[in-house]
Amino acid sequence: MIPLGDILLYASLAVSVIALVGLLLKDLKNIEVLNQFVTPAILLVAGFLTFSYLLLTYYFVTGNFAYDYVWQYSSADLPLVYKLSGTWAGQPGTYLLWVWVVFLSAAWLALSTKHNSMLARRTQIITLITGIYLIILTLVQTPFKLIIERPEVVDLIAKGTLTTDFVPLEGNGLNALLVNFWMIVHPPFMFIGYATMTIPFAAAIVYLLTKEDGWEELGRQWTRFTWLILGMGIAVGGVWAYLVLGWGGFWAWDPVETASFIPWLTLTGFMHATALYRKDKKTFSIAAPILAAVSFILVLYAAIVVRSGLFNSVHAFGDASTGTLLIIFIVVTFIVSLVLGLRRYFEEPDKVEEDRGFWNKTNVFYVTLLLFVVLAFISFWGISFPAFIQLTQGLKVGVASDTKNFFNIWSYPFTIILLLALGFCLNYNETKKEEQKKTLFIVIGLSIITMFLRTENFYVLDHTSPFWVREPTLYKLIGNVSVISIFPSMIYATWSIIQRLTGYLQIKSIRPKIKGIGIAIVHFGALFILFGAIISSNFTHTMQTVNIPLSSKGELEDIGNGYGIKLIDFSTRSLADNANIPEGVARISEIFSNPDNYFTNGVKISGKVANISIVQSAPGTYTTYILMDDGTESLWVAAQANEPLNYREGMELTIDGFLMTNFKSNSTGTTFPLILFSTPEQITQGTASAGKYQVQSVQLEIYQDNKKIGSGIAEYLNSESGSGTFPLVDSSITGTDVYVIFQGLGGGTVPLSLKIIPAVNFAWIGIVLFAIGIILIMAVKSRPKNE
Amino acid sequence: MRTKKLISILVLVLILSFAYFSYKTALSNFTLSDKNNSYLGGIKFHRSAAGLEESFQIAQQENKPVLMYFWAIWCQYCARFQTDTLGNPQVKKILEEDYVLVAMDLDIDRDVAQQYGVSYPPYLVIMDPKGNIKERVPGAVDADYLLPIVTKIRDDVRRK
Repeated sequence: MIPLGDILLYASLAVSVIALVGLLLKDLKNIEVLNQFVTPAILLVAGFLTFSYLLLTYYFVTGNFAYDYVWQYSSADLPLVYKLSGTWAGQPGTYLLWVWVVFLSAAWLALSTKHNSMLARRTQIITLITGIYLIILTLVQTPFKLIIERPEVVDLIAKGTLTTDFVPLEGNGLNALLVNFWMIVHPPFMFIGYATMTIPFAAAIVYLLTKEDGWEELGRQWTRFTWLILGMGIAVGGVWAYLVLGWGGFWAWDPVETASFIPWLTLTGFMHATALYRKDKKTFSIAAPILAAVSFILVLYAAIVVRSGLFNSVHAFGDASTGTLLIIFIVVTFIVSLVLGLRRYFEEPDKVEEDRGFWNKTNVFYVTLLLFVVLAFISFWGISFPAFIQLTQGLKVGVASDTKNFFNIWSYPFTIILLLALGFCLNYNETKKEEQKKTLFIVIGLSIITMFLRTENFYVLDHTSPFWVREPTLYKLIGNVSVISIFPSMIYATWSIIQRLTGYLQIKSIRPKIKGIGIAIVHFGALFILFGAIISSNFTHTMQTVNIPLSSKGELEDIGNGYGIKLIDFSTRSLADNANIPEGVARISEIFSNPDNYFTNGVKISGKVANISIVQSAPGTYTTYILMDDGTESLWVAAQANEPLNYREGMELTIDGFLMTNFKSNSTGTTFPLILFSTPEQITQGTASAGKYQVQSVQLEIYQDNKKIGSGIAEYLNSESGSGTFPLVDSSITGTDVYVIFQGLGGGTVPLSLKIIPAVNFAWIGIVLFAIGIILIMAVKSRPKNE
Repeated sequence: MRTKKLISILVLVLILSFAYFSYKTALSNFTLSDKNNSYLGGIKFHRSAAGLEESFQIAQQENKPVLMYFWAIWCQYCARFQTDTLGNPQVKKILEEDYVLVAMDLDIDRDVAQQYGVSYPPYLVIMDPKGNIKERVPGAVDADYLLPIVTKIRDDVRRK
């Protein structure tokens, strides 16, 4: 039997083909038979896909492990939000999300335009083709695959070990790294961004194909929305990386994060191109649509990089892939865009206009576009060619002796030029051109001079890094540039934005005013992010890992350089939704109130170690006394063994034993009114109710020169499917973060590493400014055409 | 128009030479096919999943604990971990003499990594000769932290 979800997908496929045929008949042969069905069909598909996504969500919430995908990315003891976010933890679910949003945008297009213009119709055709292809991709790797179709389960069924109605009792569980808040927002942002890119792309292709006017207006809000949500997706990914150990700060040039950054860069270029195209349809009439197409192609490329396993990335969450189908999609899209772009280019009459020289707004804007393309290319090349070499020659190569070096040294000079272009363009005034050129030249001069300034350790590449010596000469040369050289262009850009902003503020008309403020805010955002990224990555102070014994709780441990850490508390808990005490385990309070009920049989208790003491009762015999606390009461447990038992306070244990009253210890003389006798074999670690996810947390205070500079909780999440680290991050008003990584309890000590990270808040502020700015711009709707 | 064309060509040339240069540099300077264990702190490890079975055989014959090291060439934390922690004279001595060592490349040995619940490098899993996990050491810990652990496990295994 075909699962309901798959039936919905097949139905979507069939109905969307009908819509596509209807549109094609109208467009090519002017046959209108299917015309009235087109919009309802598209709405129906949107409905089907909405239903199938909800269905998938329902399976996750109810823990329907008959479905392979649900089994793979969920388990019963996950809190509800992680059951929900499990739907986008793997490739099948993200495809479904993607195609769903594509059809939601198709539905918007259908409703808002009624397909009554050539442009709308044709854009819808391209959107539908994209959507249909994605439905096929989703079907190939359907999230509704049944668990009995898994190869190993098929084997077991063939052997007769399992029956065909096999349903696992428990899911595989979510990777521990994915069990956090950021997992809930990051993937949907990314994939919604990928999906909303479709309409600007489709409109651009239509323009290249038939020169239909109005394509830019049609896709404008979608472009801005894509820019916003993709940008926020990347930013959230950065925050996530910052808050999870091992990913090297908020930006580590990991192939996957870089891959999603590339289309965002070209999209930024596209938005700059349309800013001029909008005013004069002859400017960038090829560059703009090509940039839109390129951004879409790069989105597909990012989708491949994310889950193909071809790229060496920390995003290694497994997954076989539908890579080939995506590659075919990319190749086709690429060839189509290239051919169309070239055709347009050669068709365009070579305008014989007076040569206005280099220094005009169009040209400097053109340089800006190219800079975005160059920056995108550096990133693209840096992640791609190692994969290419590995595929073709079977060799593993690095891009530099330290990956981030490659991206940093190549991007740095172009970033300066980009800032210079920003400063020049944003404040461009035809009448004051000569004066402005003079300012620009001065800033360029200052930038070059400051490149040679000797500083303590403020270079493009870190000279103290062990990787420094291994870089080739050219890399060392650029790496030797002082980062002070970023400041002249940055100040110039800031000044220019302020100039522009004051200009906007004087405008009476409200709409252009708001839009202008939005533009200024976005550019401020860019400066903030750059500043935060550069300062924080250059001045982060990292201390060696220290091990603080649990026994020195409450004491200030000196960790060198004037810094100290005080361990306030250590605790463990499980991440389960229901912390109910399971069957067979007695509550300690219950034991105390009715001890008579427990004497005849064995007793099982479960809880945390509250106190522990070890007594040598005879030569070679030790009695370990453990005070167990299950939250209701505490009870002493005694266990004899030929060595002391190695349990510590705060540990979660489950203990079997028998109860005794008024026990008097011979060696210590203490009398216990009630005690549980046990043996080492009857003690197991972990509470009986504990789920798969155990969280250890340490509460810390951090001191510098005996002055408290930060406090908080650092956590370590352990599960069968890996572990995750959630550092303590204490931000101060000055923008300096105190950052402590806790790597999980080992041998009775708490391993901690402390970092002092300055100015990182600037980057977060910049991200918020990005969002505010673009929302302001989006809020001011474009003027009606006839105005 | 002519200016724009000129800029385009200039940028194209720039991009192509950048691409060519970085490609060549990577091939000549940064080939990572790691034949001489330079990524593993100069210590000789058994390699990959194929070496795992052999390692446990040796471990059982010689009654030595097995230390499994999960690494990756792109892992920046591993570099310091390898030189400072694994490369620490005392740690290195114990590891080379008293342990059976297996290195797992996270890019290749993904199945093994999944089996042992390892999701990021560097990561050590220390086992007794029978394969029971004795200790997990996630992250780039320093030598002071690792030394007591490897010493204790070695002694525990010997005592049995």
